[in-house]
Amino acid sequence: MSTTYLNFKFILICSLLFTCCSSNPEIDNATMLDGDQIFDASLYNPAQYLVSKAIDNPSAIQKNMPVIIAVHGYSAATFEWDEFRTYSNANADILISQVLLGGHGRTYEEFKKSTWRDWQEPIMTEYNALIAKGYTNINFAGSSTACPLVLDLIQKGAITDNGMKNIFLIDPIVIPADKLLTLIGFVGPMLGYFESTNTATEENYYYHFRPQETLNELMDLIDKVRKNLQNGYRLPLGTQMKVYKSIKDDTADAVSAVLIYKGLKKQDGSAIEVEMIDSNLHVFTRLDGRDTVTQKDRDMQKQVFDDMLQLLQQ
Amino acid sequence: MTKKLLFAFFLMYASLCSQAQTTDTANDWLGELKVGIRVQKTQKLYWENGFAADFTSPKIINNKLHLGFSYVTSRLGSAMGTNAIKQDNYVVNFGYFFRDQKKLQPFTRINTGFFYADYESDIFDELPNTALLFSLDAGISYRLKAPITFHLSAGYNFTSGSGDQGPGTLYPIYYQMSIFYTILNKK
Repeated sequence: MSTTYLNFKFILICSLLFTCCSSNPEIDNATMLDGDQIFDASLYNPAQYLVSKAIDNPSAIQKNMPVIIAVHGYSAATFEWDEFRTYSNANADILISQVLLGGHGRTYEEFKKSTWRDWQEPIMTEYNALIAKGYTNINFAGSSTACPLVLDLIQKGAITDNGMKNIFLIDPIVIPADKLLTLIGFVGPMLGYFESTNTATEENYYYHFRPQETLNELMDLIDKVRKNLQNGYRLPLGTQMKVYKSIKDDTADAVSAVLIYKGLKKQDGSAIEVEMIDSNLHVFTRLDGRDTVTQKDRDMQKQVFDDMLQLLQQ
Repeated sequence: MTKKLLFAFFLMYASLCSQAQTTDTANDWLGELKVGIRVQKTQKLYWENGFAADFTSPKIINNKLHLGFSYVTSRLGSAMGTNAIKQDNYVVNFGYFFRDQKKLQPFTRINTGFFYADYESDIFDELPNTALLFSLDAGISYRLKAPITFHLSAGYNFTSGSGDQGPGTLYPIYYQMSIFYTILNKK
C-alpha cells in the first residue's frame, strides 16, 4: 500500500467539478482483497492466528508465557503483523494472536457496512477468550487505527487492572496527516468511495477501495479518542505503554504521539514511553510488499522488534 | 508564490500609507478603530479564542479596506485545564468590505501571520511546531445601533500540516466570530 493512502486534495477538486454521486467501484475479484475471492488468511484457519483457538487447554507454563494480541490498521489485514510473528518465532518464546478487525479482510460490501465498533469487537473477543483460558501475561501491539481502538477500550475501562502488561502502539493515528479527512462528511457522500494505490502484493492484503462510510467511521473514532485524550485518563494498574512513531508519516501525523503522551498517563500518574522513529513510512514495522525498502528501514524494524521482545520478556 | 503575493501587498499598502502621511494630517487619515474578542473553531479540532482589532481609513478605498490584527490561542480555548496542545496564532489581515454604509456588510479577507505550537517535551523537538499562516476567509459583518459590530466568517488555511511538513495541529478549515467595540470613529 502506498504511504499516501488518500489524495483528498485531488478528490476534493474532482468533487467540486463534477459533484456527482458515484456508483460502486469496479472490483477485480481475482486480484483485489475487495472482491469475493480473496479473503484474509485468518478466516480460513483461525487456529493459526489466534492463541485462544490454537490451544484448547493451555498448560501452566503456557498460561504464564507472554501472549501478544497483534492488531492491524484501517483497511489492512493480519498480514501487517506477519513479519513480527516470523521474527518472534525465531528470536523469542512468546505466543501471538493476530486479530483481524471486524469488517476487514472480507468483501468491499462487508467493509462498507462496518462501523468502528465492529472493527473493535474481535480485539475484546480474543482478549476475553485469553482471560477465560487463564493466560496471565497478555500484551497488545497495534498499528495505526488499532491504536485508537485500544485507546478507546482503555478509556472505557474494558481493560481491567493487571489485564495487560504491555501495550505497544506503532504509528498511532489520532491526528490524520491529510487534514482534508476532516471534510469527509461533506465530500464523501458525493464520491462514494476513494481509491488507494497499492503494490501488487498489497492488493492481496489491503482494500483497494475505501468506502466513504468507513472513512467517516475512522474520523468519528479518532475524533472521540482525541477528545478523551484531551480530558486525560490513565492506564490500568500494572500496564505499561510504549509508543513508536515515525517522524514523517503521511497517514498518521506525528503529532498524534504528542496527544497520547499528554493525555494518557500510567496508573501512578507518570509519563508513558514514547520513541520518535527516524522514518517516513506509515507502520514502519511492516516492510513486506512495499516497493522500496532501505537497509535503514530494515535496521529500524529490527531495533523496534528487539525492543518489544525485550520488554515482553522482562 | 505566497511570499511574493504578500510582499506585493505590503508594498502597495506601504505606498498608500506614505502618500497619505505626506499630504494629509493624521486626523484625515483616521476612519474607524474597533477592538474586541474573537472566538475561533477549527473543523474537527480546537477552540482558539483571543483578541482582535480592526482599522479603516477614508484614505484607503474609502473605508472599504480593513486592516486587522488578531491573536487567538487554544490557551484561552480548548487547552484551558485540559491536555490539548497549547498553540498560538498571530495574524494580520486585509479585508475588503462591501456595502460600506450599510449595517450588514459581506466581506472577504487575506490573512497572514505566525503559528506556534508548544509540545512541552524535548521528545518532540524534531517535529515542526511553527508555520507561516496564509488563509482566506469570507463572511458577514453586522453593525448594531450601539458601537458594537459582529463578524462571522469561515476560512481556509493554505498552510496546514501534512504529516511530511508543518505543525500537525494546524488545520485547514476554521470558523470565526468576533465582537468589536468601536473606540474611535471619524467616518
